[in-house]
Amino acid sequence: MRFFSADTNSEKVEMLQRIPIFHTLNRNEILEVNELLHERVYEKNEIVFEDGDAGHGVFIVVSGKLRAEPKQKMLKAALLDIGPGESVGELALFDEGPRSATVVAIERTVTVALFQAEFASLLTKNKNIGVKVLMEIGRIISRRSRQILRQEEHLPTL
Amino acid sequence: MKPFPQPGATTLLVVILSTCLLLFVFQKIIWIVLPVLLAMMLYYILRPVVESLVAQGMHRGAAVKIVCLTQLVVAGSILVLALVLLSKAGSWQTSLDRYLAGGENLLSKTTLSLEKVSPMFKNMNLSEKVDDQHVQDFRDEFVAKNLLPITLGLLEWLPSLLLVPYITYFMLNDSMRLKKYIIKSVPNAFFEKALLLFSRLDDSLQNYFQGLLLLTFLDAFCLGLGLEVLGISHAIMLGLACAVLAWIPYVGSIIGCIVVVLVAATDFPDQTWTAYACLALFLAVRMLDDFVFLPMTIGRKLNVHPLLSVLMLFLGATVAGATGLFLALPLFGVMAVIGEAVAQVVADQGLRARHRAARQLAAAAQPV
Repeated sequence: MRFFSADTNSEKVEMLQRIPIFHTLNRNEILEVNELLHERVYEKNEIVFEDGDAGHGVFIVVSGKLRAEPKQKMLKAALLDIGPGESVGELALFDEGPRSATVVAIERTVTVALFQAEFASLLTKNKNIGVKVLMEIGRIISRRSRQILRQEEHLPTL
Repeated sequence: MKPFPQPGATTLLVVILSTCLLLFVFQKIIWIVLPVLLAMMLYYILRPVVESLVAQGMHRGAAVKIVCLTQLVVAGSILVLALVLLSKAGSWQTSLDRYLAGGENLLSKTTLSLEKVSPMFKNMNLSEKVDDQHVQDFRDEFVAKNLLPITLGLLEWLPSLLLVPYITYFMLNDSMRLKKYIIKSVPNAFFEKALLLFSRLDDSLQNYFQGLLLLTFLDAFCLGLGLEVLGISHAIMLGLACAVLAWIPYVGSIIGCIVVVLVAATDFPDQTWTAYACLALFLAVRMLDDFVFLPMTIGRKLNVHPLLSVLMLFLGATVAGATGLFLALPLFGVMAVIGEAVAQVVADQGLRARHRAARQLAAAAQPV
């Protein structure tokens, strides 16, 4: 029995490649990233993290659905239901600031989590992968920011 | 952000007690603790090399294999050297006799000088006490009783030490998977805290071992250079040996100092000042260590209060002798990080409530 053997399951690789954050990575790069991902399963109504918690990583939904319940009205447009392939808590990859919403599983949900320190090590150890992942995360944050700005009618023409 | 509760005196007490308990257990299984510790040291030293090879595009497995093969060649060379030295164990008695005679000569010259300088020492009859049969008896008894057990003891460690490259290889290859495997068993509510704890432990250990290596290098360089300038034979080897012995706080340094003074007294039997200069050099390097190198390397990284460090060293020595002296500080550093994280979880009622709720949800989701 191998307790912590390498996870080279092709189904899992395909599943990870379907996630937008990782869709630019090739198979070998996915295997490298997979070493850093932590799979977590949340039951229906289970809290993933709470508003005000110190954030240490991003959660990416593999199956099921999470719901973000932000206290600030402004954020409600950007974060509501987070389905397969979508992510939540990206900002925690860049600092340990407080979470801006409480996230709850609204059905049984499987997620993979990427921890801040491991993401930082990826950026220094394997710049190719790091840059690709960083670009995708940047796109997601940028899209969310635009959504919020549009909602607030601060950026009507962009 | 929700403030983290600061660990109090109870946490500190629990950390000290658990460190003592672990030291006691480790002393009983030192045959496995030592190779694991050496493997950890090699892991933290070699990991940056593996990472730089991976960053240059090499596959992780290949990088680990190359680094470990290099490590095996170095370890093999050290083993051959050790076996050659052990095969010459018969001549150790002659060498030991020579160096002890050198030490005896230095001691009698020093006491005679002291008696000339001060009547207080003359009244104490120090030179007569040194000249008496005690030193000769000690020398004969030590050689007869301890030389063979020491040689056999060193040979007994060989199988354990052979484990070091093996453990290092798997640590370099599988540490991330092992971490994931352990984290998997942590409940969701404490998941991020556990990851943070792992990250802090990893940082502490990496800082400690890399700091220790840097400190050893600086010590070896200063001592080797100083001894070379004084004209002592095998200066670099002696400097390196003393720097490694200094891993055992206080006791190691004293043993290293005695060895260097004995070598100096034997190399220059008529120039007692050389032995005194060696002693002064040792004290200077020790001061440099305590006030410059140690705070720059290990002290700054482990962030342990000096008073606590000394207390832990005494407790370590009482509970587990030399093993305790060697392990007390790094183990206390690790236990302090764990203790702080556990104290935060225990004090965080929200986190515990979330865990209880998650357990109820998991139980309700189980098919009846």
